[in-house]
Amino acid sequence: MTSFFFRLPLMQRFRPVAALAGVLFATAGLHGLAHAEQPPSFVHDGTLTICTNPTLPPMTFVKGQDVSHPEGYDIDVAQALANRWNARLSVVTMDFTGLFPSLSAQRCGLVMSGIIRMPSREKSFDAVTYQDTALVVVGRKGTPSLTSMDELSGKNVAVESGTSYITRLGVVNDALVAAGKPPMIIQQYPTEEQVVQQVLIGRVFAFVSQDVELFYRMRQLKDKLHVLITPDIPDYRHFAIYLRQNPQDLTALQSAVTALETDGNLQALRTKWSVTDPSTGNEAPSTTSSAMFDWAAFFSALTSTAFLHGALITLSVALISHFIAITLSVPIAIVLNSPQRSVLKIVLEGYVSLFRAAPTLLQLLFIWNAVPQFFPIFREQWFTPFLATILALSINESAYQVEINRAALSAVDPGQELGASALGLSRRDIYWRVIFPQAFRIALPPTINEFINLLKITSLASVISLQELLAVTQIQVARTFAFTEYYAAALVYYLVMVFFFLFLQKRVERRFAWSDRKKVVSNAA
Amino acid sequence: MQHEPTSPPMISVRGMSKLFGEFVALDRIDFDVSRGEKIVVLGPSGSGKSTLIRTLNRIEPHDSGTLTIDGKLINDKTDPIQLRCMVGMVFQNYNLFPHLSVLDNCILAPMRVRRMSRIEATTLARRYLNQVGIPDQADKYPIQLSGGQQQRVAIARALCMQPEVMLFDEPTAALDPEAIVGVVSIMDELSEQGITTVCVTHEMAFSRRIADRIIFMDQGKIVEITPPEIFFTSPKSDRAQNFLNQMLRY
Ligand SMILES: Nc1ncnc2c1ncn2[C@@H]1O[C@H](COP(=O)(O)OP(=O)(O)OP(=O)(O)O)[C@@H](O)[C@H]1O
Ligand SMILES: [Mg+2]
Repeated sequence: MTSFFFRLPLMQRFRPVAALAGVLFATAGLHGLAHAEQPPSFVHDGTLTICTNPTLPPMTFVKGQDVSHPEGYDIDVAQALANRWNARLSVVTMDFTGLFPSLSAQRCGLVMSGIIRMPSREKSFDAVTYQDTALVVVGRKGTPSLTSMDELSGKNVAVESGTSYITRLGVVNDALVAAGKPPMIIQQYPTEEQVVQQVLIGRVFAFVSQDVELFYRMRQLKDKLHVLITPDIPDYRHFAIYLRQNPQDLTALQSAVTALETDGNLQALRTKWSVTDPSTGNEAPSTTSSAMFDWAAFFSALTSTAFLHGALITLSVALISHFIAITLSVPIAIVLNSPQRSVLKIVLEGYVSLFRAAPTLLQLLFIWNAVPQFFPIFREQWFTPFLATILALSINESAYQVEINRAALSAVDPGQELGASALGLSRRDIYWRVIFPQAFRIALPPTINEFINLLKITSLASVISLQELLAVTQIQVARTFAFTEYYAAALVYYLVMVFFFLFLQKRVERRFAWSDRKKVVSNAA
Repeated sequence: MQHEPTSPPMISVRGMSKLFGEFVALDRIDFDVSRGEKIVVLGPSGSGKSTLIRTLNRIEPHDSGTLTIDGKLINDKTDPIQLRCMVGMVFQNYNLFPHLSVLDNCILAPMRVRRMSRIEATTLARRYLNQVGIPDQADKYPIQLSGGQQQRVAIARALCMQPEVMLFDEPTAALDPEAIVGVVSIMDELSEQGITTVCVTHEMAFSRRIADRIIFMDQGKIVEITPPEIFFTSPKSDRAQNFLNQMLRY
């Protein structure tokens, strides 16, 4: 116990970075101490880290503007667990598809994100049930209820990608095909609110979800949705907390959950978030969503700190990555342009081809999820999604930038170098005073193009939980269902940023009057 | 031109050869150039004229033989920057820096290499721009100038390094007769200032007018070195006679 009190302030001092996660401090009160148990091995340095995809109300979602602080039933359960183990809670938010890879890469101790307990997942991970639920098939109000899943034959059904619903619907489809009927057409969407939206806008006939979450959506969307059928599928009756396989940890977590159940903690949280009751309202923000564009929602999104923060992350990731990329690419381009063959040149050629060929998204996922398995240093706290994104994008972008620089450098007349060296200029001056200024003019337009591209590509980093502009937008949409208004606000941010850089390009190009006889003459006149 | 026979040659070349792979571009060249002398190098296309003058400032390092400039042996141990401060060069296509104004073209090397202040360098540059007859073009960019004006900027730029030897590769190739006269008078002034010039050209009247001696080259070898009045009237070699006949026919 003394060691705990001794360590806590130290840890806080050495762990100031909370950019990726809302760090919620455990209230280590008397209550917590009374129940203190030996913490499981996934609690590191007195911190319980959980991975969650906060787009699944009321289990895990963002209620306010601050996207780094998800709330919900899962988060409260995690907090209660942390309290039992005298640990602080740290919440890492990311795309659903990133959850299990992050657990493997030891970026978090637990995945708590309203995920169904599935035998297939338990092959790779241990699971502890903490909440009963049921699978539901939901359609628009007015759609007649179904008596059997077979009636979905030939219909469009939306599900969240990465979830186990897809496999389950596959089983239904196999049965349909075996019976000679057309299968369901399954559409996958990356977030839950997009799944719901497909039903609301009438693109799909139904979506598949859990009752718990549906209760929340029903309140939020008033009477727009309606349960078509609750199929009796035993596999889908429990939500589970997932952890890396470890018998001791499993027992510890199991007994902690059981204790929370017995002492009434879980029941209190169920009531708080109305997890089991469709009628009583728990401040679910009801949407006034209509066909009309809601200007107020649009302007409040536009001026929200969440959007501003997301845009700043997008901008700084793009600027820093591109700066590093350019710095790397200039010497590489010079080496590749030189006539001599060398080992270095072959290695650099390989580097450029590899990173031009590999998809950017794959590089991001690789650096975030695969690299830590070989180099544990990359799963430490300092390696934030921000750094990981900059690392991935710098490398990726430098490969493209090398090609731009090579073209620009070889477009400079070789006589320039000759003329400069005949004047006695040093190699350094030849490059900095003579060749680079001329190559810069040629490289500028394609480089600005690359930058604009990069600015937009940062949105890929939401898969590794970077809270950039588009990730923020998605999370805010999940909260409010104001698709049009929030997308429009995000668009405005992107446009403003891009137009600013196009403007900058024009200004800089004006200084290249020396390259164009007509311009110089008219300027002189 | 009177030269004290005791003064050591400005440029001294002995058995110098230059290879491009297997190809012998310069074949055991020997010659001396006195201080302040004006040498014109003539010869058919591909005979190695450009290669020869490029070896003199080591833009093309020679492969064998010796090269001495102002008494100093020039080889791979020579500081190229020192050498180029002493030997200036004007290229056929000028190689002006298009992104810099005329003045900035002229002051870049004095400031960066000779470590002059901007004011010193500018004063010097204006003096040479004046000498080559374009004092009022200093603030223009190269692209705004005529070919003849660009040629003069290239000369002024080289002169700003205050070299003792000036190398010209076909300085008149892109010029009309009037502009050629201008270059001739610049070269006269250079030699009055004691600057040694080596000039490659195809212009017969021009060579006759400026040369103290003519070096005639063919296939990487020096065929003869003669004063112009002898070279143009009664060259020693048949090869030179043929060359002259062909040149005069056009
Ligand atoms: N960098 C090089 N690599 C290979 N061969 C070269 C190179 N430079 C010159 N040569 C060859 O050396 C020979 C002499 O070239 P050089 O440019 O000195 O001729 P030149 O007398 O100046 O001709 P011109 O009157 O046409 O300018 C030519 O056959 C040319 O092809
Ligand atoms: Mg030549």
